[in-house]
Amino acid sequence: MSDHVDGPRQIGDAAADLSDLFAFTSPENPAHTVLAACVFPSAGEDAIFSNIIDYSIAVRRVTVASVGNSAKFQPADDESRFSFRFETLKRDAAGNAIQHGVCKLPDGRELSLTVNDEKGSWTPEGDVRVFAGLRSDPFYLAWDAAELKRLPNLLQHTNVLCMVVEFDTRRVLDPTKGSLFGAAAETVPPQQRSLIAPAVPRIDWIGRPEQTNIRLYNPALVGIDDLRDLWNQQTPFAISKELQPLFLQRLKESLADWDMRDGKADWTPEALAASANVFLDDFLLFDVAKPINDDSHLEIEKSTINGLPYQTGGGRTVDANSIDILLTWLVNRDREFLQGGATGATKPGMKVFPYFATPNTELQTVADSVELAASPEEVWTLIGQFGGAWHPLTARVNLTGAGIGQLRTIQTLDGQQIVERLEAMDDAKRFLRYTNIAGLAVSHYTGTLEVKPKGSGCVVDWRAQFLATDKTDRAVKVRVSTLFKTGLESLKSRFGVTK
Amino acid sequence: MTTFAEFEHPGPSATDGEIAAINLESARRGAWARFAQDPRLPGVAEAIVDNERLASQFFGDLEALDRLNALALQFARADGSSRSLLVQAEVTSTAHRFDDARGYLARAAQMGAPGEAIERQALAIDQACGAELDAVFAARHRFAMASGRLEDLVPLGALLADLERFSEADAVYRQALFSYDDVSPFPLAWVCFQLGMLWGELVPVPDPNLAALWYRRAIAYLPSYVKARVHLAEIYASQGGTGEAEALLLPALSSGDPEVNWRLADVLIAQGRLEEAERQLNAARFGFDQLLERHLLAFADHAAEFYAGSGNDCRRALELARTNVANRPTRRAVKQAQAIALITDDAATTSDLHQA
Repeated sequence: MSDHVDGPRQIGDAAADLSDLFAFTSPENPAHTVLAACVFPSAGEDAIFSNIIDYSIAVRRVTVASVGNSAKFQPADDESRFSFRFETLKRDAAGNAIQHGVCKLPDGRELSLTVNDEKGSWTPEGDVRVFAGLRSDPFYLAWDAAELKRLPNLLQHTNVLCMVVEFDTRRVLDPTKGSLFGAAAETVPPQQRSLIAPAVPRIDWIGRPEQTNIRLYNPALVGIDDLRDLWNQQTPFAISKELQPLFLQRLKESLADWDMRDGKADWTPEALAASANVFLDDFLLFDVAKPINDDSHLEIEKSTINGLPYQTGGGRTVDANSIDILLTWLVNRDREFLQGGATGATKPGMKVFPYFATPNTELQTVADSVELAASPEEVWTLIGQFGGAWHPLTARVNLTGAGIGQLRTIQTLDGQQIVERLEAMDDAKRFLRYTNIAGLAVSHYTGTLEVKPKGSGCVVDWRAQFLATDKTDRAVKVRVSTLFKTGLESLKSRFGVTK
Repeated sequence: MTTFAEFEHPGPSATDGEIAAINLESARRGAWARFAQDPRLPGVAEAIVDNERLASQFFGDLEALDRLNALALQFARADGSSRSLLVQAEVTSTAHRFDDARGYLARAAQMGAPGEAIERQALAIDQACGAELDAVFAARHRFAMASGRLEDLVPLGALLADLERFSEADAVYRQALFSYDDVSPFPLAWVCFQLGMLWGELVPVPDPNLAALWYRRAIAYLPSYVKARVHLAEIYASQGGTGEAEALLLPALSSGDPEVNWRLADVLIAQGRLEEAERQLNAARFGFDQLLERHLLAFADHAAEFYAGSGNDCRRALELARTNVANRPTRRAVKQAQAIALITDDAATTSDLHQA
């Protein structure tokens, strides 16, 4: 979602919504470069690509035109373009939907692929490999940006559709002519479209993460026009000359606001203007002759604005903490690292092709609630004891340890054992969170129990999320659901229900 | 009838309807999973409303309203801000509980919800209720001229149709269709369906062939579009094409929409397959009863039409039509009630409705 829903214009087809762009050295082969783009933020397990969109990643050679407060990067006119097209669905013998596609390479060759085939497809020459399919979303956002308040990862367990292309750097990019490049991705609709309106050149594009949703659009700047739609209609590497002053002014205002989010001015007006001028050209900079690692994202831009030669290959790896890196630069110019509320995505990237982690399985959810004719405090006194044995299906509960991290071993009436760990407890808010350690055929089980006031009584919310170990086995969901229902029903007879 | 040059044009391209349907379901389930993690996550409850509405509108997913009710309840418990009031207004408005929706909007306004969000919802409610139509028209016109977007043009077209300015409605719908600049088939199918309704049902002298053309286009964009299949099947059946009508309706049966059972029953009756028709009629009756029990106001008009026709219970039809008029006294609702009152010989009601 680093570029998700990046404008007020409704993106009708989520498969056209570009969320991210990456450029890094292949972990499997240092002589290879990997470019990747993601679409469809928060995709579910069955998400697939549109059959009429042209998804492409374009690369241009870039030179450093000047440094310091006049920093600028100059892209060449020639570009290398990798374009993905996908077909309508076909069915295999078992009736499963299969999607095929093709990636058109910069030299005109076409490489066929099957969506979600982890092995990907190689060219016969072995110089290019491609993958397209559903993966765990590597982006994580763990801030309330308006208040710079840390939050848990807001994108926990989400997926995206990824397109990955890995190629022999020397053969495709010829770094002997210059090793610094800029990349941008775009989603392009068919061009025969409108009878009565101008053709739309693209639906979405992305260079560096957060150009639109953090730099150009800043809700703190009240009463201003939202320029994101206008920006998305710009041509990558060639922002309209007429509109450049408008975008530049917005970038300056926005960056000035970000600088003051911590109450300290870390940017001189000149340096801030230089930063805005660099970000006005939005492409993901990477140097194939230098090391690209998880911390090198934006280093090329930052060093150049600081008047220094850059040391790394910049780019953006799968595990790059792009938001914290960006916010730190904007807010305090790298004086103090701003760590959000998460240190990584739901799943880290892989060291083997296609480098993006396997998709998150859809979490099973069980939620139930009951409204009671008793005060929240009264109810919480009973059910807010982590070691309490109030549940009618519980024979006894043994506690191990104390405070956060303590374990409870529940012996159920039918003789089974469930072991749970206390993860969070807030008596003031009458809320507790726990995880399952053993006793249920699930993984990643998180349960929450909460009592809130409602009218003259209260409402008890009990919910759990988990991954079923066998997707077809819903028995565990029934079991959890029965546990919840039985427990909440018992509270009705004890406290009475709201009339 | 006018021949439009657009008929020669295939219309804007869109993502294949099967892919779009799979992706909608994917996004819908994904949003619910995120909502379960934390109902307050930014934009997630609102995304669920959008997804569930699409599922209901296009795929006849009648359980969407139940899920929306659950969403509104859970979100209100989790989020005390004006966001939850706006979501509750959307949900109740979707279920045609317009008085409730207005109440939520008023409270949202008191809590400082964005004025534009409130205005757009209030506008939709006024339009659905046939209230303050001059003001609604002015606002709809302003939005449509400012944005030129399909999502603003279609409601303007619908309003023009309500005002019986049919040619203008047609022009606005076609403007919406051919100015669409995205690739989702849902909005395009929606416009085509509206054009089908316009020429098939709303104009004084319907043109079934023109309506059929638009319904076919809607189905071409979105093969699972249940309502478009139902309406096209009606036209085919009325022209003697009962085989074609049956072929259109059978794939839509799995949606659970009782209107499919009802129209299929009519087709089967026309084919003399009376036992099968009876089974479908019973299924339709059962389906409507279930829906009315849960969402009376949302389905009163459709159920009234059913009971006034093949459902063969004019008294019930009249009762439902009156309920609908009381909830939203639009021209169409009043006309429906008058027509049903006439066939039930309810002179008093006819007279009352004439005065409404």
